[in-house]
Amino acid sequence: MSNPFRDDLVARLRADACTVVIFGATGDLNHRKLIPALYNLAVDGELPPGVRIVGFARRDWSNEFFRESLEKINKEVSRSGHDPEVWAKFAESIEYHCSEFTDQEGYKGLAERLDAIDSERGGKGNRLFYVASAPEFFDDILESLKGAGLNEAKEGGWSRVIVEKPFGTDLATAQHLNEVVNATFQEKDTYRIDHYLGKETAQNIMVLRFANAIFEPLWNSSYVDHVQITCAEHFGMEGGRGGYYDKSGALRDMVQNHLLQLLSLVAMEPPTDLSADGVRDEKVKVFRSMRQWDTPEKVAENVVRGQYVKGYINGEEVPGYREEDRVNPESETEAYVAVKVMLDTWRWSGVPFYVRMGKRLPKKATEISIHFKDVPGVLFNAVPGGVPGANVLVIRIQPDEGISLRMNSKLPGAAVRMEPVKMDFHYSSSFGKSSPEAYERLLLDAMAGDATLFARRDEVEEAWRFVDHIERAWHESDNKPPMTEFTAGSWGPKEADEMLGREGREWRRL
Amino acid sequence: MSANLGQPVEVGSIGKELKKIWEADEAATNASLMNFAIYSEQAGALEENSEAIFALTREHACRAILVEMQRDAPKSQIEAWVTAHCHLAHGRKTVCCEQLSFRLKGKAIGRMRNTLFSNLNSDLPLVFWWQGELSDLFEERLYRLTSRFIVDSAEWSDVPAGFARLRDAVEDSRCQMAVQDLAWTRTYHFRLGIAGLFDDPLAQEMLEKVNSVKIAGQPGHWTSAWLTLAWLATQAGWAFVSRDETRFVFAAKDGREIVVEWETEESYAPLSLVSLTDGKTTVEVSRKAADSHLSLELHAPHHSLSQVAPADPDGKVELVAEQLSRGGKNSLFRKIWPAFFDVLGIDGEQDC
Repeated sequence: MSNPFRDDLVARLRADACTVVIFGATGDLNHRKLIPALYNLAVDGELPPGVRIVGFARRDWSNEFFRESLEKINKEVSRSGHDPEVWAKFAESIEYHCSEFTDQEGYKGLAERLDAIDSERGGKGNRLFYVASAPEFFDDILESLKGAGLNEAKEGGWSRVIVEKPFGTDLATAQHLNEVVNATFQEKDTYRIDHYLGKETAQNIMVLRFANAIFEPLWNSSYVDHVQITCAEHFGMEGGRGGYYDKSGALRDMVQNHLLQLLSLVAMEPPTDLSADGVRDEKVKVFRSMRQWDTPEKVAENVVRGQYVKGYINGEEVPGYREEDRVNPESETEAYVAVKVMLDTWRWSGVPFYVRMGKRLPKKATEISIHFKDVPGVLFNAVPGGVPGANVLVIRIQPDEGISLRMNSKLPGAAVRMEPVKMDFHYSSSFGKSSPEAYERLLLDAMAGDATLFARRDEVEEAWRFVDHIERAWHESDNKPPMTEFTAGSWGPKEADEMLGREGREWRRL
Repeated sequence: MSANLGQPVEVGSIGKELKKIWEADEAATNASLMNFAIYSEQAGALEENSEAIFALTREHACRAILVEMQRDAPKSQIEAWVTAHCHLAHGRKTVCCEQLSFRLKGKAIGRMRNTLFSNLNSDLPLVFWWQGELSDLFEERLYRLTSRFIVDSAEWSDVPAGFARLRDAVEDSRCQMAVQDLAWTRTYHFRLGIAGLFDDPLAQEMLEKVNSVKIAGQPGHWTSAWLTLAWLATQAGWAFVSRDETRFVFAAKDGREIVVEWETEESYAPLSLVSLTDGKTTVEVSRKAADSHLSLELHAPHHSLSQVAPADPDGKVELVAEQLSRGGKNSLFRKIWPAFFDVLGIDGEQDC
């Protein structure tokens, strides 16, 4: 049997009715992201009828208390506002299941409850398990799901799992986690969420490259000098995040996942189709082609790590990294990292990708810039000032999402003089409607069985392989590359500038 | 003459006057994704449509070109105004869209088209919202350059004739012009709701045995009801058999007869009920008048499902905004034309 009324109605895969079980349901992620995302899907009419939500956590909460707690936060953060009438109906689909993550009885109870829901709904028993708990419980939750038989799809239905980052803390733990996940769920039913991939601008990278004839012919080492990927944050360790961050650091927290995922979208070959594996096959080739910085000397030459010292952000004095709340005063964790990535492929031979991420930089911005090669200097050599600079195509991921192109133009007047000018496309100016939150898109995709915007096992492991060499050089070698310092509110350590300067390049000023 | 139309200008100096607007406020961003033309032969439409553009440009940046035609005026005359509608985008910066307004009096043929074409922003698509009946000005040289053509068939006195003209226009445009009928847009969330309910296996089972359908709505919105019916028939594979005042009969592929009862009432929502049943299981989407939500219900033996979903807006401007948000070629609308033409009683053959 099929549903003919779905045909041609919306241009995306159909999300199936299912029960979403959220582990760590009393936590911030569920309150601030997942439930508001599901609520907004309901408001937009995108949530399939019959979707039920079961929150699984350790606190002794009632259904009513759980719903009230979710409603309170939803009122604050929901993208489309909060409609009491819609919420009341939506909340009827939410319930709470109290259990320790390690208590097998709790999972048996969950299985019985899910069977009862399936029976009430009369559906196929589709289940979507969202592991949003602290990472130390991932193993227990997955093994317990298996113990209760919840990993097995019911006849005609499906059973899928969404795993939140971090996917391990290094290659070994990532491989272990992947083995546990894959011993429980098949890879096709495993959805490793990277919310950057759910962002509209990240999705637009493929459209920009492959739906516009003018860019792709230039998208290679013949025309591109280098690529920069920057994720700048002006905040530091406010709100107690120092405890987590000091164990992780910029490289593992942002580069290994979000920024290397963006890099793979920029660098990949055109996929044969838009299927999940079609796209991910090409992305993983990018990860595999990353030249490994596998000695401390190579790391010292191609990677810069740093910590901020006391400085100013928005006119206010802010402490140095080691003085931040919950940060070890002798911490060796980087709050800034700049990495030169070389891809040994035909297309990108000799083109460096500079990736940087830092806390306490002057402003918050994530963007990708493609720096094209200079024109031959023969024609305008005699012109005062010459050609002012090469073309730069910038893809702004957040905030002020958009695309700009810098080019050179003649100044008005009898003399030939040039200045760079910018063509600028802003999503917010052209499209007044706000984009859905990344989690909305990703939850709907998981319900529809579309894994295109989720990371596959091999992508994750290849990214860790690259990062692991750097981490080992920093923390385990006898010849550790130094930790640099920079003043909070500046654009990072001078050593990062020098890394580019040695090659005649400089960081793009954001 | 009217504050909201902006500055009265000579037709020949529109470009210069627009430039002055942008030079006066350098902080504003001029944004445009399309040429958006609204045409009306209704007196006073310019002012009303200027309000509509102000609302639409919150989400859809465009160069707006408003044309009001007063065909009965004894003397040919043209008046023009320029203005810009500005909004604070995402609380950050001022984004403005140009609006050019024209009131044309007297001789119509050729003047409207020329007025429009001479003021288009090059390379951007032309979206044309034609308000009211399709007149003789709706002709090939106009619609050949139109990317999207928006009408509201609920406004037409002769719906079959209107759709026959649209069908011919689409063929003449070599199927390049996408037609969007607000009467069809009004049914979107109803269709989404029905599709959602039919994800349920019990509903799918019922579809193979369904023998009774009920559709209800306001009398002035009967085209929305019939378009929904045409969609049901197309997707479910039912063939039109007959129709009288309140009933349609369709035949399923297995020969089963499906009787559709159609009810209208002024106090109803434009589209207020779509219900399908086989006598045991019922799938029903309904809306009370002025309610902002639809009620989705599935009732089967030992099983029921109930949910709310957003309703389609009632206002035309909001419907146009929704339509613009969805983009695309509206191929499903074209797909259901043959079934719709069958119930309308016009030739449904299309070359594309």
